[in-house]
Amino acid sequence: MGESVIQFLETWSPIDVVLIAQNFDRFLLGAWVTLQLTVISLIIGGALAVPLAIARTSKNPIINGPVWMFTYTFRGTPLLVQTYLIYYGLGQFEAVRESVLWGPVLSQAWWCALIAFSLNTAAYTAELLRGSIVNTSRGEVEAAKACGFSSWMRLKRIVLPSAFRRALPAYSNEVIFMLHGSVVASTITIQDLLGVGRWLNGRYYLAYEGFITAAVLYFIIVLMVSRGFRFWEKHWLQHLYPHDAVKVKPKKGLANFRI
Amino acid sequence: MSETSHDQAALEVVDLHKSFAEVEVIRGVSLQAHKGDVISILGASGSGKSTFLRCINLLEIPTAGEVFIAGEKIRMRNGKSGNYEPEDIHQVERLRARLGMVFQSFNLWSHMTVIENVIEAPVHVLKIPKAEAVEQGEALLKKVGIYDRKDYYPAQLSGGQQQRVAIARGLAMRPEVMLFDEPTSALDPELVGEVLKVMRDLAEEGRTMLVVTHEMSFARDVSSNVVFLHEGQIEEQGEPQQMFSNPNSDRFRQFLSRTMQ
Repeated sequence: MGESVIQFLETWSPIDVVLIAQNFDRFLLGAWVTLQLTVISLIIGGALAVPLAIARTSKNPIINGPVWMFTYTFRGTPLLVQTYLIYYGLGQFEAVRESVLWGPVLSQAWWCALIAFSLNTAAYTAELLRGSIVNTSRGEVEAAKACGFSSWMRLKRIVLPSAFRRALPAYSNEVIFMLHGSVVASTITIQDLLGVGRWLNGRYYLAYEGFITAAVLYFIIVLMVSRGFRFWEKHWLQHLYPHDAVKVKPKKGLANFRI
Repeated sequence: MSETSHDQAALEVVDLHKSFAEVEVIRGVSLQAHKGDVISILGASGSGKSTFLRCINLLEIPTAGEVFIAGEKIRMRNGKSGNYEPEDIHQVERLRARLGMVFQSFNLWSHMTVIENVIEAPVHVLKIPKAEAVEQGEALLKKVGIYDRKDYYPAQLSGGQQQRVAIARGLAMRPEVMLFDEPTSALDPELVGEVLKVMRDLAEEGRTMLVVTHEMSFARDVSSNVVFLHEGQIEEQGEPQQMFSNPNSDRFRQFLSRTMQ
């Protein structure tokens, strides 16, 4: 029975399933590299984005201006170019090559990709958060003032918690864009998920096997990410739903299955 | 204004002015509120009554004048650019915490439940232990009749319910004076009553209240004093019975005839 299935696949299947199965551990490893790069740059970028977003809302041009330059540079140029500039560009400077960071960090493709991705997502997330902070209800801020909150406490207790929540749906897009953007890593020798697909194509001249497998795995990751965000939105945005909505469990089954 | 005028006033405003750009909207208003006073501030729209209230806790920075809260003066100075400004923002924050404010548009913190709204400032500004704040908050919610909704979010409540929560939030600061800025103006007519009833109860408890309102029956029946503002100045003030039955100024008489129809 098992043998006849394999025989069928080897003879009749339009794509070489056996080859995929043989190399599947490579794909999983590639997916792991993709996830690592994405998640770590989202964490670093997110941590940078919060102070940057607050600085962007400042009326003082000395604080606001440089951050504006940063976000517009990183949002105005392609991620691929940014990654190339860091990976190929930094090595041109002797000072960089002679610094202690060169050997362990800046000469390593993985670190260069991580730096480029983190700065890129920091720029996008900062602008996203800035919009959310600026749109905080004036009345709610005034109520906090009237209760005697200091400006720092207003930011910490009212403005940011409210802004984070309102930014959540848009941020799920940023996470998916970052995941997809991480394919750039494969162009600077990193064996991420797409990198494995490219490797398979280069070795066997089989485009479908490598790229479809990579595409399917990307799709599955996106599916999990957006399900995760739907769950978080249910929790963090429950103040926007009717009181009983949170207690109703979603129905199981395909009828309720949406991305 | 009050029989206990020899006592220190809970709130005193001296010769307050406020201009927006070139327009002077408050032109020298002075007022004293003693413990237990319920002062209604009336006036046509544009008379500056809301601005006056917002100047008391410096949500608007007055252009001139002095504000004392329980005898403590809010220290002001002329800043670098010549603007009148608070000298010490920490003092302002400390004194703001001694006034409870209720807004026309409720302004509850939308991402917090009812009980979280009520304990937020006591815990984080007054540094009351959380358990104590919750106990006090629940008692206040019972007082305003909304305890059964304590785990709801503001958007899940009617306007009248939200405003009662906002009153409880103000009371939770154990304030010297409660400031009400047109608390019923944003409500559907059938919801006005429930909020007025809560305010009536507070007045009967002897709370010190400053109420900017269009509710003539509240001003007449509940308040101890009425102040009528016209174009940024006090046109007439006094006890409600006297003012409503026998107004001195023509403008207040006209105002009454327009609003009491």
